Amino acid sequence: MTPEPLSRRDFLVRTGSAAALIGAIDGLARALPAEAAAAKVGEAAPAFTSTSTSGAAVSLAEHRGKLVILEWTNHDCPYVRKHYDTGNMQALQRETTGAGVVWLTIISSAPGEQGHVKPAQADELTASRKAAPTAVLLDPKGEVGKMYGATNTPHMYLVDKAGVLVYAGAIDDRPTSRRGDVQGANNYVRAALQSVAAGQPVKTPVTRAYGCTVKYS
Amino acid sequence: MAWRSLPLLALLALGALAGTARAAAPATQGAGPQVRVDLISETAAVEPGGAFWVGIRQRIAPGWHTYWINPGDSGEAMTVAWDLPSGVTAGPLVWPHPERIPVGPAVSYGYSNEVVVLTRITAPAGLSPGDRLALRGRASWLVCAKICIPEEADYALTLAVAARSAPDPRSAPAIAAARRAVPVPSPWPGRYATTPHSVTLTVAAPELRAERVGDVWFFPARWGVIDHAAPQDATVDGSGITLRLTRGAIVEAAEGPIDGVLVIRERLDGGMVSQAFAIQAVSSGAPAHAGAPVISLLEAVGLALLGGLVLNLMPCVLPVLSIKALALVAHADAGPAAARRHGLAYAAGVLASFGALAGGLLILRAGGAQIGWGFQLQSPLVVTLLAYLFFALALALSGVWLVGGRLTGLGHGLAARPGLTGTFFTGALAAVAATPCTAPFMGVAVGYAVTQPAAAALLVFEALGLGLALPFLVLSLVPAWRRRLPRPGAWMEWLKQALAFPLYATAAWLVWVLSHQAGPEALAAALGGLVLIAFAAWLSGRTRDARPRWRRAGSAAAATAVAAALALGPLALSAPTSAPPAAAATTGPAAARWSPSRVTELRAQGKPVFVNFTAAWCITCLVNERVALHSPVVADAFARKGVTYLKADWTSRSAEIATALGTFGRNGVPLYVVYPAGETGAPTVLPQILSEGTILEAIEGL
Repeated sequence: MTPEPLSRRDFLVRTGSAAALIGAIDGLARALPAEAAAAKVGEAAPAFTSTSTSGAAVSLAEHRGKLVILEWTNHDCPYVRKHYDTGNMQALQRETTGAGVVWLTIISSAPGEQGHVKPAQADELTASRKAAPTAVLLDPKGEVGKMYGATNTPHMYLVDKAGVLVYAGAIDDRPTSRRGDVQGANNYVRAALQSVAAGQPVKTPVTRAYGCTVKYS
Repeated sequence: MAWRSLPLLALLALGALAGTARAAAPATQGAGPQVRVDLISETAAVEPGGAFWVGIRQRIAPGWHTYWINPGDSGEAMTVAWDLPSGVTAGPLVWPHPERIPVGPAVSYGYSNEVVVLTRITAPAGLSPGDRLALRGRASWLVCAKICIPEEADYALTLAVAARSAPDPRSAPAIAAARRAVPVPSPWPGRYATTPHSVTLTVAAPELRAERVGDVWFFPARWGVIDHAAPQDATVDGSGITLRLTRGAIVEAAEGPIDGVLVIRERLDGGMVSQAFAIQAVSSGAPAHAGAPVISLLEAVGLALLGGLVLNLMPCVLPVLSIKALALVAHADAGPAAARRHGLAYAAGVLASFGALAGGLLILRAGGAQIGWGFQLQSPLVVTLLAYLFFALALALSGVWLVGGRLTGLGHGLAARPGLTGTFFTGALAAVAATPCTAPFMGVAVGYAVTQPAAAALLVFEALGLGLALPFLVLSLVPAWRRRLPRPGAWMEWLKQALAFPLYATAAWLVWVLSHQAGPEALAAALGGLVLIAFAAWLSGRTRDARPRWRRAGSAAAATAVAAALALGPLALSAPTSAPPAAAATTGPAAARWSPSRVTELRAQGKPVFVNFTAAWCITCLVNERVALHSPVVADAFARKGVTYLKADWTSRSAEIATALGTFGRNGVPLYVVYPAGETGAPTVLPQILSEGTILEAIEGL
């Protein structure tokens, strides 16, 4: 009855990895109507151009011909920390970028919201956490995030060499914030990459992303 | 802290409040958990071997929320790990229905303020009064406002063990409230149809009234079935509820049955109340029990043909068919041309009958009714008439009487032209006789037919008819087959009489169906009708060889008896038996019909009275009956206190009931009133939202 990512919810969350800044007022948050141009697995990934921490414009189109991974993040979210504190995310970044895959980390937190960072702060986080993305994109207006329907951090996407979105969802099948669950989890992104490399369709192309909500304005 | 800063703080707080409906909270950020968890129990004392509800109560800081089992776009449901003494078992977590929590462009499903997640605990039988039962465990959950924090905490509760369980007055109301918020099984079937972008959910609840339904929301049990953030467009009309939903990200999630919770807000006299129903919607193309087989028209026609063939073997059809076959045997010498004519006439009768049936079905379906094969059996009147018919046919086979002088062509007139009309009607009769029966393969074909355009549906039904007609048709058309039939002889009479019994059985079954549909009065009427039918058959049989004058008198008397039997059926049905079929299966106290004089009378006899003012279209009434009023505990309390349970059914408006409601300042249902015995004591009005506890309290207070 429950889909695969939901089926192993037997876990114990570690206490109080307290978050930092207080989100302002969620009463301001409005449910936006579903966008017509929203990303859909199996179709062309929506084109976007965003700004990296170095100030350079980065577009999806310029990476056509390469596999592209999109990672939505918020460094203070307990679920993101599960994957960075254990080195899980960085290992996947190294493994994939080493194989010629483009990895774009995207921060859609609005100014004043949890996870919002200035370019220098973002670079510092990359350095201190020994992360290895191709680039970190700042999307404080949430334009790219909403275009892709990113709801969670982490929320992962894979775009194939033809520019088709072939995976959207969770990083793995353990929807918890417990660090111990990284071990033995089935990493959906890695599995999708393997399918693509073997020239096969991705077995689970859509999963329920788990984590904190993306802190849009 | 300096007192001076207080006004400033107040100003800040005001500003925050002005900015949002649910601001407040995050000032306590970092000051401790956002959710306080404790374990509560409906009982303070447990009896050995007893089962009882406990709840893990989350008290959530204002502005924060926790999650349902399907958390929606983000989030995570609570998990618990019990640490129980040996022999104690805890059931699965039972979740109250969630609310929608919009967060930016996303929507989560969860809870705010307070939620009690229930578990049924069973105590070991080996306990003895005076023991203590220590329940403990650890809960882990995610709590979010704009930001999210995983939290966890231990909970524990020690209960006394006593010979008889005793409620906990402090916690029982919270547990009762939580149990009310747990979805009850939907009394209405759900179906859905999909397009690449939408899922349309239909709930067949024709008794609901649009003006009472405030708002409807569907929470799927699975992530990916629908887009959680998209608006849900609900309409309530004469056929029930239709919800237009946007399809979710997982395409195959909307291929099997869709499970979820339907929350309906109902307008009552005093305001709005939410009621939650657990529903499993099946794909519109599928029969209600199977998954969703996708078949083509050709396959459906094939299956229908096969199903029709198998129908011949069903107890309701086999005797009818056999009679025709016996006629062929008896008149093997009548010549192939006559046999062929009869075969075609029989087939024509079957096809005409099926055509009429399909036509009726299509017309009703066009009117929005959710119907399938056997829809005609939903009418108690049709069921009664079919029972008469089968009984009369069975009596004929038993030899009590003869149909029209020659039992549907069994006599000597096979070759005669007028016999053809008889044969045609035998075919029609075979089709009618087939309606209570279903055969394998039929369900899928008919399930397909009812979702197709009229022409395709008609084709499937006629294929079913052709299948039914085929054995006799082939027998009459192919002389080689006819030659293989056994020689006529005395065995034919034996077989004929034996075949009466499947028909008696069918009649008995139909009467049983009727008793469920229409209650004891209709049952009594139908049984009386059967006696009259038997009398008519006997009279007709006895007088057929008498002198003409007696024969005429016999026929007239028999016709009168049949007319009386026919009149009895509708008479019983027009008698106001109210109990809806859904309520028949519950285990609650038996209800009698309400009238003001009945209340006065009972009280004068020294009996307290509980009156349930209800209606089939009242959602809250339905839930109250399911979760509280019809529980065995309440039935037990009624019996113990000698309370008479009266039901005032306002499904059809009645001035008498409206007046009674008015005396309590109400103009709608539900209304629950407890009258103490005697003529003077003031009646107690119970809340519109019932729990077992509320009822028990009122009853114990008598």
